[in-house]
Amino acid sequence: MTDAKTPAIACRNLWQVFGQGADKALTDALSRSGDDAATAATDLRENGFIPAVQDANFEVHEGELFVIMGLSGSGKSTLIRCISQLLPGTGGEIRVDGENVMGASKKALTDLRRKKLGMVFQHFGLFPHMTVAENVTYPLRVQGVGKKERLARAQEVISLVGLEGREDSFPRQLSGGQRQRVGIARSLAVNPDIWFLDEPFSALDPLIRRQLQDEFLRIQATLKKSIVFITHDIQEALKLADRIAIMRDGKIVQIGTPTDIVLRPVDDYVREFSKDVAKGQHAKVASVMRDEAECGPDDPGLTTGMTLDAALAHCMELYEPVPVRDASGKVVGTVHPSDLAAALQVDEA
Amino acid sequence: MTAVADISAQQARLTAGAQAALITVIVGAVCLALEGEAPWLVKWPAAWELPATQWVGAFLDWFLNGIKPVMRVFSDLMTYPMDWANFVLGKTPWPILIGIVTALGWYLGGLPMAALGFLGLGFVLASGYWAESMNTLALVAVSVPVALIMGGAIGILANEVPRVKAFVQALLDVMQTVPTFAYLTPLLLLFGFGPVVGLIASAIYAAPPMARNVMLGLERVEPEIKEAAVMSGGTRFQQLFQVEIPAATTQIMVGVNQCLMAALSMVIIAAVIGGFNDIGWEVLLTMRKAQFGESLTAGLVIVVFAVVIDRMSGTLATERKRYDRRVVWAILGFAVLFTVAFWALLPNPSELTLLDPMTDAIDSGLTAFTQANGPWLDALKNNSLFYVLLPLRIGLDQAVLPYTWGFQWTPGMSYGLFAAGAVIALLMAWRGHLTGGLIVLILIGMLETGIANLPWPFVLTGAAALGWVAGGWRLAALSVGLLCTILVSGLWERALLSLYLSGAAVFSCAVVGGLIGLASAVWSPVWKVVRPICDMLQTIPLFVFLIPVLMVFQIGEFSAFLAICAYAVVPMIRYTRHGLVNTPDEMMEAAISSGATEWQIMRDVRAPYAAPTILLGLNQTILYAFAMLVIAALIGTTGLGQSIYLALGQADVGLGISAGAAMAILALIADRMVQGFAEERRKALGL
Repeated sequence: MTDAKTPAIACRNLWQVFGQGADKALTDALSRSGDDAATAATDLRENGFIPAVQDANFEVHEGELFVIMGLSGSGKSTLIRCISQLLPGTGGEIRVDGENVMGASKKALTDLRRKKLGMVFQHFGLFPHMTVAENVTYPLRVQGVGKKERLARAQEVISLVGLEGREDSFPRQLSGGQRQRVGIARSLAVNPDIWFLDEPFSALDPLIRRQLQDEFLRIQATLKKSIVFITHDIQEALKLADRIAIMRDGKIVQIGTPTDIVLRPVDDYVREFSKDVAKGQHAKVASVMRDEAECGPDDPGLTTGMTLDAALAHCMELYEPVPVRDASGKVVGTVHPSDLAAALQVDEA
Repeated sequence: MTAVADISAQQARLTAGAQAALITVIVGAVCLALEGEAPWLVKWPAAWELPATQWVGAFLDWFLNGIKPVMRVFSDLMTYPMDWANFVLGKTPWPILIGIVTALGWYLGGLPMAALGFLGLGFVLASGYWAESMNTLALVAVSVPVALIMGGAIGILANEVPRVKAFVQALLDVMQTVPTFAYLTPLLLLFGFGPVVGLIASAIYAAPPMARNVMLGLERVEPEIKEAAVMSGGTRFQQLFQVEIPAATTQIMVGVNQCLMAALSMVIIAAVIGGFNDIGWEVLLTMRKAQFGESLTAGLVIVVFAVVIDRMSGTLATERKRYDRRVVWAILGFAVLFTVAFWALLPNPSELTLLDPMTDAIDSGLTAFTQANGPWLDALKNNSLFYVLLPLRIGLDQAVLPYTWGFQWTPGMSYGLFAAGAVIALLMAWRGHLTGGLIVLILIGMLETGIANLPWPFVLTGAAALGWVAGGWRLAALSVGLLCTILVSGLWERALLSLYLSGAAVFSCAVVGGLIGLASAVWSPVWKVVRPICDMLQTIPLFVFLIPVLMVFQIGEFSAFLAICAYAVVPMIRYTRHGLVNTPDEMMEAAISSGATEWQIMRDVRAPYAAPTILLGLNQTILYAFAMLVIAALIGTTGLGQSIYLALGQADVGLGISAGAAMAILALIADRMVQGFAEERRKALGL
């Protein structure tokens, strides 16, 4: 339907500023600072405004799982509410499938939400007076879809999240994990292209959280949505993300693949996050691969998708460069075993 | 040099409270000292008064006459549903009505509620006041839907339009403080005598609690639920009616419950304008004729209605179980069968005299009681009047007479008293309690002068000082500004009289209620007894409080004082207990593991933690006292309450509204000040 090159979501110079008359204040601050974001943000703060999101720029590609990570108060929840237009946004533009939604009419937004967007909330946001089935099909009900059709769709999504048999329960009768399954089912009811998840698993016990993460990945593997996923948990981000954006004090400080974040943190803030992470489990061989053709006599059978830990296990006793193959078995580069070891020790330096 | 430095250092260390108290003491002392030369310093001269009440009256007359035609059309329209409700409730055979209420009780709350409905209406039937009760019920039945719709619409509007919200909130605050009787006078002018006034007054009075709860309920819907509705692609209309309002149901049902109770209360109060044969009128009539047995029975009928309506509608606000619908049909079917089968034998409910023995017994018992206990009851009343209330009102210098106290107060005694006060104040200041000492001095001065005779500059300064300490200069300015309007409008003396009586009542309530609350908090059996009494006192319409005090102590200020106390003590008890009981477990455990005794825990941990809550209770007590003050005017108070009541009788809108506004001003200032202190305490505790 859309051009393959058009990103699902594109944010350009996106600002969300809180305070009376924030629109004008932002324009003024930007013109004073000559469009320098950092100066403008300081300026705004000094004048009593809260620049919760500052000059955010990123794209989410079709089918990509884009994770926004940061501590509480870093502006990540504000950012996702800006993109979903639950907050109006103060400056910049947000393109959804190429169309700017900033300042779109109420009707256009309602239409967009009815067809293309789904959202999951941290504390589930379930309607307490509706049963599971009614909750799940509410997005269809507001569009005037008939009851029969709604119930059929309800069955589909409810079984997708594994809640068969609980259709007539009320939210208060469900456990936290079950409630979030309802939340997920509801957000998928209209089969949206774009899926927003605002810390969906943060309110759950660690065990349930892992279970739901796995199921979420399973669902995503079949549905291939374009996803914006908010979390404050680096492990979760690394486990799920195709790419991660790290936020601090309203700014996006780094965008990159999990490997980038772990191996090449741009500053101490990001490094601090990845400190406790067992890097070898997340970084892939591709991240330390060189483009050289020359390699030693041994071939321990490394592939680009292997984690550093696995790769290291394979070449414990080797010192010469070894070849790396891609999924089809073609040699695409080489790895120096010393690079592997060095990559795993980047922090200790 | 060092002495000067010492003094300035001391001044620098004066707290805000001490400064405020010091200024108040100085102003008071100056006023008293100059009383001889400049009497205008004490009593605001009549020549300086503006004819504000006349102006207000003229304006309102003009305004009300302007909108009268429209309002008359409205009242004509309202007579249709009213006649209809009257007809339905009046003509339906009583077994069927009892059946309906019992079935409704079952549907709402199962067996207990069904029993309550059955027994309650059974009592009404036996009392012989069935017809009157149905008239009252008809008024409630029409006014409540009007109030629900108005209140709901206002609440939703305020929720949807943020700019309206602040205004609505302020309006609701004011309406809460304006005394009930004050509504009636302008309505009387608009609609003439008749039940429509009661209907409209009760609709106006009952709408604010509904609006408040709708606003609160919608506000409290979890933000994520609201966002989920937005993200589901609902229009604003769909979000509101399919998600937000249903999600707020519990709070809205609290509003419905409060709305019903307010409507019933006001319908009963509106009986004072008469013209309608309802149960409130019956109470008033029998009270005037000193037929206390009858008036108590009629009062009990009102209480029964209040309890039935309150408990049944209260179940709406709790999570409900489903009860077997078949029972509902069975009850209704039985009621119809019963009616048909015994049609010829059904007694006319108005002729039922089953409770007459009870009323007679009450009457004779009461006579016997007052005769047997007359001496000590009189002594109680007279002692309280002569030794407590009167000195508070006109001061020791005028209240101490040879006739009552056995000696004449002399100026020398005043000096002695002030000297003693000064010594105490100095001693306290010496021990580091300068503010406390100054307050003792102020209180002694007030006792000597009497609240009704306080010099106006002193009252204004005192209000400003309190306002400043409680909430900064804004509150001080607000208090002084509002008080000045009372001062120049010629209602000052009456305002002071009201202040004195409600002050005395609030003080007694604070002490007694505080102690009962404390006892309930530390000893749970006490609470088991106190709690149902509190529940009952809060359910009973204001009016009914007058009956028992009147029976025992006759008309007069002491009866009014008791009625006010009985009504206003409840929040003090509740909040005190609630505050003391809700100390966080961890704090208690920390105190226990530090080795504190029960008493030390109470004094050092629980009481300070409960302080903000107790202050809120005091705040409620003040508002309750003001509300009751006006009703108590029926049995003899002076001051603003009486003016409002008189204005009603004379259809004097200017006086009624001005006195009502003055009353609202006093309540508002007291409310803001206590809230200010509570807020400060909360902040200090980091809550």
